[in-house]
Amino acid sequence: MPDGVVSDDAGLAAYDGDALTAYRQKALVCVLPKTREQVSEILDYALKECVPIVPRGAGTSLSGGALPRADGILLGLGRMNRIIEVDLENRCVVAEPGVTNLAITRAVEQHGFYYAPDPSSQIACTIGGNVAENSGGLHCLKYGLTTNNLLGVELALLGGKRVRLGGRQNGHAGLDLLGVAAGSEGLLGVVVEATLRILPKPPLARTLLLSFGSVPAAGKCVGDIIAEGIVPAVMEFMDRRCIAAVEEHSHPGYPADAEALLLIEADGLRAEVDDAVLRIRAIALRIGATVIEAGSEGERDRYWAGRKAAFPAMGRLAPDMLCMDGTIPRRTLPEVLAKMAVLAQGYGLGFCNVFHAGDGNLHPLIIFDVMKPGELERAEAFGADILRLCVEVGGVLTGEHGVGVEKRDLMPVMFGEEDLAQQQRLKCAFDPGRLLNPGKVFPTLSACVEDGHMHVKGGRVPYPNLPRL
Amino acid sequence: MRAEQESEVVDALRWAHDKRTPLEIVANGTKRAFGNTILGEPLDVSGLAGIVSYEPEELIVTARPGTTLSELRAVLSEKKQQLGFEPPEWAPFFGASADSTLGGILSVDAAGPGRVRYGGARDHLLGIRAVNGFGAGFRAGGRVVKNVTGFDVPKLICGSFGTLCILTEVTLRVFPKPALSATLAVRNVSAPEGLALLRRVWASPLESSGLSYLPDRLSPATASTTGTALIRFDGAQEPLAEKLALARPLLQGMETDTHDGDEHFAPVADGSLFRDLSLDVWRVYVPPAQALPFLDEAAPAGWIADWAGGLLWVGLETGDATARTRLARAAARSGAQAIRMRGDPKTRNRSGIVEPEDAGLHTVLAAVKRAFDPLALLNRDRLYDDEVHDA
Repeated sequence: MPDGVVSDDAGLAAYDGDALTAYRQKALVCVLPKTREQVSEILDYALKECVPIVPRGAGTSLSGGALPRADGILLGLGRMNRIIEVDLENRCVVAEPGVTNLAITRAVEQHGFYYAPDPSSQIACTIGGNVAENSGGLHCLKYGLTTNNLLGVELALLGGKRVRLGGRQNGHAGLDLLGVAAGSEGLLGVVVEATLRILPKPPLARTLLLSFGSVPAAGKCVGDIIAEGIVPAVMEFMDRRCIAAVEEHSHPGYPADAEALLLIEADGLRAEVDDAVLRIRAIALRIGATVIEAGSEGERDRYWAGRKAAFPAMGRLAPDMLCMDGTIPRRTLPEVLAKMAVLAQGYGLGFCNVFHAGDGNLHPLIIFDVMKPGELERAEAFGADILRLCVEVGGVLTGEHGVGVEKRDLMPVMFGEEDLAQQQRLKCAFDPGRLLNPGKVFPTLSACVEDGHMHVKGGRVPYPNLPRL
Repeated sequence: MRAEQESEVVDALRWAHDKRTPLEIVANGTKRAFGNTILGEPLDVSGLAGIVSYEPEELIVTARPGTTLSELRAVLSEKKQQLGFEPPEWAPFFGASADSTLGGILSVDAAGPGRVRYGGARDHLLGIRAVNGFGAGFRAGGRVVKNVTGFDVPKLICGSFGTLCILTEVTLRVFPKPALSATLAVRNVSAPEGLALLRRVWASPLESSGLSYLPDRLSPATASTTGTALIRFDGAQEPLAEKLALARPLLQGMETDTHDGDEHFAPVADGSLFRDLSLDVWRVYVPPAQALPFLDEAAPAGWIADWAGGLLWVGLETGDATARTRLARAAARSGAQAIRMRGDPKTRNRSGIVEPEDAGLHTVLAAVKRAFDPLALLNRDRLYDDEVHDA
């Protein structure tokens, strides 16, 4: 077998899915290119032979974005893991797609810089995957998602051609193809190089731990802080069950009696941070919270390590878990949290809440046991209900994990036929043969060519009540 | 034709479709001179205006695209909020008197000096409603600050010059307005020194919200040019004082005066320095450290710098083909992208408005246009030479 080709059963089993663990599928073959030219050759072959391609970074997707296909090539980009250039003068790093998220910060921290997007899988997840999924993390409240920190990419298109979108500059002349490539979940092209903006490390960060006697009180506190015009670097929520699990797992020293907890960090220069901390403290005390400030660097690290370990900590309590990812308007937090509790009772399943409260990005973790007949289905139905609830209150299906296969069939909950048709035509512009990561994002793929016609479906025209000119 | 409702936009598209006649989408017309002159039946969408909802506590606003910048600013200001990308008013620059509209600003992805800290229009546009060239109304993005559901079509629409769809509603993120701001004006610095200073501040944790350089007089030279470097900070009283104090060591030995507020940035934002000069004007996005090499090679008749050197306004002798070639070559060499803001009316239709031309992108750009507007009914040829795909 040539280098970088995996086709034996045991080898393929290692690549049979991602962090959406309920879905497993072995690829027809897995290829692990080392160069962008090899990626082009594979994409050329795929087009000629009409073989579907599924790109993959480290396989940490929580939405099944890297789930292989039995009839397709799995394109693993993990071996393309060189940092090509650190360009401090232009405050950017140029990297191959297989470089891990954390490695970007590691490459520049000795110069006082860091890369802001920090998904919790940042030790493992790769930049190529981050761009494809438009990954977020704890710090997006202040510093944005991947797309807001991405200056350019080289994108390999189906057929093998490579195009450069963006560069090392801010701003673009002409269509912002970079903007739509970010977060396209591997449906438009394969990232073979990314240029990322780095930021000067803030000289100071202060962490507050706010504990509340009720969940709605914590929800209100979030809304009040945002409405005051304070933009903390991070604002994280954990409920009672999550606090207990984390405490047992890594002993960060969270208050044991709290119904809900907010972990908030303000960063920047001293006066600005002090000002924010003072105002947050006042708001919290007004709502009746108990406020603790991390007194030392060690304590601060412990608090955050606890938050980052929430997922594995919960994992120890239950055989299986589903991590959901909707975003809601922040003011609806108390209402949504209450309704989720009611839903959980109806399904007879346990769940806990840990989420990025500052931007209203929920991560309910649903606990179940796949060995018990019907539990996976019940858990998925519960998860779908939560996401429907998110859309109902004015939110969206996914804040940072992507649609993938997980939320694909829920897309019509948020988007109408015309909305999806327009997105699919865009997909067709890049991939008329629908070979790039097919089966992800869209519930059904429609045929690609419909030039010069008004949009007609099933013999019906849109807006049938309007006079035809 | 006029359209004040989405349904009327759909009607107009049907008419255009049946007559095979392209439309020119116009609201207040302040940027009609930006981009190629186009042939088409004007569709006045200025009546598609008004704020639909404003939720200050969610930091979002939803408005129809005909809403004027001044109206929106006034409404946000009441709640001590603002648009983070500092949308500039270019009407005087383009010789127009009316107010810019939100739709126009987004269609050219315009942003002022504040972009260096807060990001561009594209980073603040969360969701849209629009009508495409098929005459279908569609929605993309959402109304929350964090969303990855489906393709990020709003980013693609931002800066598309109305060539992909007609916006009917937009949702933007807003920011708290800083309590105070102050400007440091560093006088009599050479262009190389001034630009290097701006980059040093940009690379520091001082979070400057404006980093511009204005030569004393517009000239092609860089090494012999002297001018003023402008540095803006904002925040509440104490944080602002701290930033000013921390900036001082970076300015050692330089002739600096400090001013409350930020009116010094107005001529950087609005292009007024170029308004009365008979020059073609290009907006050049360049990696900041490459600004100087770019300028040395392009040798424009005049220039100013913003975004720590990452944005250059560049003036070329009107209709000078050699100057344009030089600019294109310099842009290619320094990894810059340039777009023509104002051009000689006699030559403007013979060439595109983006340099350097990337031939490799041509088929992708054409395919994207086709996915939204195969008959090229929307602002045909405004940005690129459009193909018509009739069934």
